[in-house]
Amino acid sequence: MWTFIIRRLIQSLIVVLGVTLITFVALQMSGDPTYLYVSERATEAEIQQTRVALGFDRPLHEQYLKFLGNLAQGDFGNSLSYKRPALEAVLEALPATIELTLFSMIMAIGLAIPLGVFAALYRGTSVDGSIMTMGMLGQSIPSFWLGIMMIMFFGLQLRWFPISGHVPFIMPLIQGNVVQAFSQLPQALYYLIMPSVAVGFYSLSRNARLVRSSMLEVLGQDYVRTARSKGIPEWAVVIRHALRNAWLPVVTLIGLEFGFLLGGVVVVEMVFSWPGIGRLVFNAINQRDIPVVQASVVILALVFISLNLIVDLIYAKIDPRVKL
Amino acid sequence: MKPLKSLLLAGAALLALPVLAQAAPPDNTVVVGLSAEPSTFDPAQISSRDNANIAKHIFATLFTVTYEGEVQPYLVDTTEVSDDGLAYTFGIKPDLTCDDGEPLTAEDVAYSFNRPADKSLAFTGNTPGFVYTTLGFKSAEVVDDLHVKINISARTTLALGMMSQVYIHCKDSYEKMTVEEAAANPIGSGSYKLASWDRGSQVVLEKVKDPGNFQTIIWRVIPEASTRTAELIAGNVDIITNVSPDQVGAIDSSGTATVSAVSGTRRIQIGFNMTDAMAGQPGAEEIKDPKVRFALQYAVDVPGICTQLLGMACDRATSLVNPPNGNPDLVPVPYDPDMAETLLDEAGYPRGEDGVRFKIKLQGPRGRYLNDANVIQAIGQYLTDVGVETEVELMEWASVYQPLLRTKEAGPLFFLGAGGVTWNPLYDMSLFATPEAATNYAGWTDERWFDDYKLALAAPTVEEARPVINRMLKLFYDEGPWLQLYFQPDFYGVSSRLDWTPRRDEEIELFNASLK
Amino acid sequence: MAVDTVTAARPAAPPLSNRRKEFRRAWRSLVAAKWPLVALFILLGVLFAAIFGPAIAPLDPNRQNIMLRLADPLTAGGRNNAMFYLGTDGLGRDVLSRLLYGARISLMVGVFAIMVGGTIGVVAGLVAGYFGGWIDDVIMRLGDIQLAFPFILLAIMFLVILGPGVFNIILVLGVGQWVTYARIVRAQTLSLREKEYVEAARALGDSTFSVIFRTILPNIMAPLTVIASFNVASVILSEASLSFLGLGVPPNVPTWGAMLADSRDQLMANKWWLAVFPGLAIVCTVLSFNILGDWLRDFLDPRLKTVG
Repeated sequence: MWTFIIRRLIQSLIVVLGVTLITFVALQMSGDPTYLYVSERATEAEIQQTRVALGFDRPLHEQYLKFLGNLAQGDFGNSLSYKRPALEAVLEALPATIELTLFSMIMAIGLAIPLGVFAALYRGTSVDGSIMTMGMLGQSIPSFWLGIMMIMFFGLQLRWFPISGHVPFIMPLIQGNVVQAFSQLPQALYYLIMPSVAVGFYSLSRNARLVRSSMLEVLGQDYVRTARSKGIPEWAVVIRHALRNAWLPVVTLIGLEFGFLLGGVVVVEMVFSWPGIGRLVFNAINQRDIPVVQASVVILALVFISLNLIVDLIYAKIDPRVKL
Repeated sequence: MKPLKSLLLAGAALLALPVLAQAAPPDNTVVVGLSAEPSTFDPAQISSRDNANIAKHIFATLFTVTYEGEVQPYLVDTTEVSDDGLAYTFGIKPDLTCDDGEPLTAEDVAYSFNRPADKSLAFTGNTPGFVYTTLGFKSAEVVDDLHVKINISARTTLALGMMSQVYIHCKDSYEKMTVEEAAANPIGSGSYKLASWDRGSQVVLEKVKDPGNFQTIIWRVIPEASTRTAELIAGNVDIITNVSPDQVGAIDSSGTATVSAVSGTRRIQIGFNMTDAMAGQPGAEEIKDPKVRFALQYAVDVPGICTQLLGMACDRATSLVNPPNGNPDLVPVPYDPDMAETLLDEAGYPRGEDGVRFKIKLQGPRGRYLNDANVIQAIGQYLTDVGVETEVELMEWASVYQPLLRTKEAGPLFFLGAGGVTWNPLYDMSLFATPEAATNYAGWTDERWFDDYKLALAAPTVEEARPVINRMLKLFYDEGPWLQLYFQPDFYGVSSRLDWTPRRDEEIELFNASLK
Repeated sequence: MAVDTVTAARPAAPPLSNRRKEFRRAWRSLVAAKWPLVALFILLGVLFAAIFGPAIAPLDPNRQNIMLRLADPLTAGGRNNAMFYLGTDGLGRDVLSRLLYGARISLMVGVFAIMVGGTIGVVAGLVAGYFGGWIDDVIMRLGDIQLAFPFILLAIMFLVILGPGVFNIILVLGVGQWVTYARIVRAQTLSLREKEYVEAARALGDSTFSVIFRTILPNIMAPLTVIASFNVASVILSEASLSFLGLGVPPNVPTWGAMLADSRDQLMANKWWLAVFPGLAIVCTVLSFNILGDWLRDFLDPRLKTVG
């Protein structure tokens, strides 16, 4: 197992390097960002001065190598627009995004399993029909649209949920204010619900359908039939035998799911004014704030890689067929 | 069944949650919803309008510009100008204080002027980049405890207005801070201080002294326009900016908020790019002909655009100067497509067999100005209608369009809004200070204008410069580098509980806001 | 990862001579399942609009008239007193005509993006799976890099640089898909490589190219078709999201996603037709692709349950 982990870590290093290289090349290709960092009436001399100060006058490979050298020391450089360490800005925005992605993942998987199981157990009935219809619809609505509609309806009309904004939970936890964190947990969850539905509804729908079909398959297997014939109550059959096997494909999805949900985060953070990394990096790309973009993609890649590693390890534990 | 139970529990929890009430702002707090977030509170780095709006409450200034557009002393008691107009000696009010508890003296004022100009720190904010270049700022020196002398390089009637934009901050505190620390820790002299800053979320200001009717001001960042409107109608936000004209009706009929519209001072125009960068592009040669430029003025229905797309009637601009400082003899060019066609025929650009006189590209930003994408597309249609086949290209503002403008490569037709003022026509005209000026995106080189500009600037008062100004504006009207459009109306959503008047110059000033 | 669980490959190549029989079986299954048939007809309708839209559209989709903006459905006006069956948008353009033209662009973006991504992915997967070794390593690491990169960020980054445009959207959305295909194809190829009929082809002296593309490729088309049909749906949704961020197609190019994104300002003003019609078009099309994908999966290979 240790060789597996070490091999994966080396691979991750390559992945992270690749990610930085792509980002670097992409942002450099987009032209000289100096003009974004000089004032409206700057003279040509001032522009050149700024260009030198920002290091954009150096040859590309030199800039990239310098970046790598600093990166090795954990330094992404200063954000061009915020004038402070880029990593700091990213780490400050990360918890809000983690909250959003985690919560939508919990929802997308936690709700998908019971829904999928119900649909499978009541196959062909109206229960099945309505769950599957919802599942189909959920996979055809763009997340920004769902978000805006929820704001109009549940936020503005019914006043059930806050329209936008964020109450932090992870941040105070990290800072050691455990009491504060937990005292505002209900508020934090309250603010989380609509954005995470917008992020996770697509996945929820897909997973519910996935669980349903693998559940149907498992229910037809010999060992389930044997268990039933032994007179074991139906719920026990479902939980002990069927469910255990049916949710394996969902577990394998968790790692990829995180990456997928992160994709929806940019749009949803805009709609719900969520102070996360998606909005940060979107603005940074538009501002050509290369240090912030680099720091964000590296951090996101690291989160993604470690999550996948953990999932693989867990998977090896719960599925005896998989050996590392 | 276990899953059923957990599902029911989850459902119950979901239903119970709405009991946690959403807090509307308390009586001592006003909440403003902004579209863009502030990036820094370093007085020498602040550049965006939203950022400056917050900063105005933290940092006091020597002068302020009133609602009516007049420059008035604020921290200043006495003003003396040297005979050559190059040195201003200000006596500041006694007993002023800084947020760090120290008294505010001439030393702090001189420091506030000199720090942004410090080349070694390479600041890029509005103060060093715009104010100082326009002002011709040279240095500031302490005369005594309450007197400070500011030296500029050329006489200008813009001086006091420009100085009203320099944020006064406190020397002792800033000397102790690094540039990074200064970005997040403003130590000012205004009536509010920064209490907290949740990046990406909100900025909270607490009142430390008068003026100001609210103990707390919260600036919330809400990028999406529909969300901002929803928050306003729900009563969670008191003031929102950049209301889309199409949402005005919904807000007005909500019963909880109304829209205040003001005719702003931002001058919206289509620039004609006449620089060499356009050489070879279709239409580039044609628009160098002043007759073509004037003919195209007739092709666009500006009042129609205003009522239909901006939700407010407007007068078409006659020049680059904000009313009432313009040339009163100039009449807005009416919408008359037939006239446009006649003039284009006369200028020597008849319709071809395909009905096209010539082709041209119109570039512009999207999401930068009020309803810009639609306005630009509509103008493209109007021009196409008179035989000038216009291809519209919309771009992201910060990273794509702005660099093009800076290198004077936008165009041949480019859509732009330039901020203006009402306190001095020369400010509005300073976009074309010299043929090489960075803001002369059109590459306009007409000597008559630039010679006159020097004359106008050197006049001791605006009144004395008036004949020259009027002559210049007539030239701008006839042969200028702009297709004249309108002064951008600004829409603010204002909660019904609030009594607040918006300003014309896009500044959000909350000192006079109060509960009804 | 997800797709590695799909490696259970089909045992042997189906004899190609039975094609007609297969089709008949497919048709019967389609009719029996009902919903997939409906989906098929909806998609044929969309395809019809995409091909003949310009011919049947009543008006020029880009002809603006701001004096007639936001006209209700079934309003007549303008120069020839034309009828706006589905109303007009914020610039007075005919919604119905834009919808019909939009069918072409939206479908084109969806299908071409999959073709781009599919082609890259299939070739990469075949090469990786067939040759193995360092080639395999390089290709799969590239795939890992891309997966570790939230796709939308990559798309945003490249669209900001390349600028908006139908071609650029297709390219970016297409490139975003290749890893999925590469992984599946690689896994399938790995298992097929050792199969008897592949060995036989090799023994008969077929070129490597021929073995890969004539012998292996036809046998892995089934899971690819299924994934492609799900993917078209998700690409159409991604296009809408990019339009929301202002990175979609240029404003004069009508797509359903862009129409929906543009409608959000008018929602509060109750201009429902701006959102409802493109919204319905998207939901129906995406839904149809998904339903058809479901059916296709069950029909082609019931064991491909976990795909999509």
